[in-house]
Amino acid sequence: MSISRRKFLGTMGAATLVVASATLTKEAEAQLETKRYAMYIDVSKCYGCMACVAACASETNVPLGVFRTWVEKITLEGGTLVFIPKICNHCEHPSCVDVCPVNATYKREDGLVLIDDELCIGCGACINACPYGARYHNPVKGIADKCTFCEHRLDKGLLPACVEACPTTARVFGNLYDDESTISKLVDEYPTQVLKPETGNEPMVFYRDLPKEGSR
Amino acid sequence: MMDPSILINYVYPNELAEPVLWLPVMFAYAFLISGADLLMLASIGFITGKIKRAIPLLTLLGMSFFSVILLGPLADLRQPQRAGLILTNLHIFPSDKYPGVSTISLYGGVLWITTFIVGLLFMLLYFSYPMYIKASRNGTLRPLYNLLSFGIRSEDTYQKLSPLLKVIAGVLFIFATLWGLYPSILLTSQTWLFIWRNWPILPVIYFADTFVTSTAAAILVYFLWKFDKMDKEYVNPLLKIHFTGCLAVAGLLILQVSIWGWWLGGSDFYSSFNIVIPLVIAVIFLMIISAIISTFSLRWSQLSILVSIVALIGVLINKWNIMINGQLVSRTGLGVLELTLPHGWFLNMISPISLAVVIFILITWLFPLEVE
Repeated sequence: MSISRRKFLGTMGAATLVVASATLTKEAEAQLETKRYAMYIDVSKCYGCMACVAACASETNVPLGVFRTWVEKITLEGGTLVFIPKICNHCEHPSCVDVCPVNATYKREDGLVLIDDELCIGCGACINACPYGARYHNPVKGIADKCTFCEHRLDKGLLPACVEACPTTARVFGNLYDDESTISKLVDEYPTQVLKPETGNEPMVFYRDLPKEGSR
Repeated sequence: MMDPSILINYVYPNELAEPVLWLPVMFAYAFLISGADLLMLASIGFITGKIKRAIPLLTLLGMSFFSVILLGPLADLRQPQRAGLILTNLHIFPSDKYPGVSTISLYGGVLWITTFIVGLLFMLLYFSYPMYIKASRNGTLRPLYNLLSFGIRSEDTYQKLSPLLKVIAGVLFIFATLWGLYPSILLTSQTWLFIWRNWPILPVIYFADTFVTSTAAAILVYFLWKFDKMDKEYVNPLLKIHFTGCLAVAGLLILQVSIWGWWLGGSDFYSSFNIVIPLVIAVIFLMIISAIISTFSLRWSQLSILVSIVALIGVLINKWNIMINGQLVSRTGLGVLELTLPHGWFLNMISPISLAVVIFILITWLFPLEVE
């Protein structure tokens, strides 16, 4: 039996492609399993400049009147002003995902909680299920909407817009599973708080110096 | 645009953008679920034999309201053209990507169809022999009535059907009860709105309320049907159930207000309940008044219209209070939002209910409201 040179090369090329793609998929899967995106917010560093809010609105086309990230201003007893940046917590146990009746909202392996625009029916169940007020009805798209941790930027190796815009590095973003990452070191080194721990959602936004009044 | 730097009275900015997410349609939806309440009462009536004469009315009214039940939330969807996904993309099997089970999916995609089929089966079998009798009296529609008799042509055969009907009624009772509890399960377990999350006995209140709603609706329709020829044998068993239901709802609401006071009395959070407590008290009074009138109506049947109207006003206020006012307290538990109703909200609310009434009129033309 004789095989032509062209056929031999073709078969070998196809086999190489199959092996390579299988290896790549395994590598990608392994990479995802070792990733858990999270955010660290140092409340003491935030002075309420709203650069993050503006950057987010400009990057993700957020309609007027609703917010993917916002900064709350709290006056503590004694008159001290505190600014608390808030955002979707991309929870470990996201109550918003539990309630979606059509699987439009989902949790990615790297921890991002996202919405499939093509599936969302706009029932509002996820908005009412979020304890943090992080979701809203997008009046332009007619669906539920929220922060995505700028997944389109992450895919290009960039940081979320709000993190990049912060002039005081109050917001730190990274892979919590990577021991060498800044966020991992900060969370290990300093005591942190999360919003409404009683909900059992396990938020992945960790605060430093969060006053009791701001955790509501 | 709101300045995001200010947390106005402990309200999140996105809450300010749309204070009431589930609009009055949600309230209409809850009211329509009384279709399940009526089916529940019909199935109990059939199993126990206590309210035999009211079973046809309860079944037909129940099926009419239950058949349009999904139209309520449909009007609330921002993408109603995708509503079919509730039936095809069910979120009832948890996975890593889609953790949890969606109550809306479970009820809208699974339990509605199941309950509707069981209800329809109960209705058709229950009316099988009566339809045969009707066929023997009517000329023009005889073939249709014969078809709906499913070959049951004697009382003996109909009696033999009774054990099977009791089993179906038992299954219907379970499904209809689950439906009657649906809004309370959804609100208390799958949302994080302050009032709903802190209303622990809401499912029990809803269960008691199913008896009030179903008896009040049945008494109202019976009054409109018979007017001055009301039969005590027909209406008195309903009045007795109504009396118990009203007292149960009133008692449970008193208990809930006491629980709030005991839990949070004196704290900043307690003042948030002021948005619902006045109407809770109003409902308690209306339920007690309806219960008192129902005792007089046992003797003077004409008074039962008052029983029904007072109770239905109480039911509507109670559901408005739970559904709409319940959304007006911020997730922080300390802020209160302002109610803004969109243009045409009343039409949105009333249209599915009207359709249920039209269906009821149509099926009562086909099926008899009285079965000997």
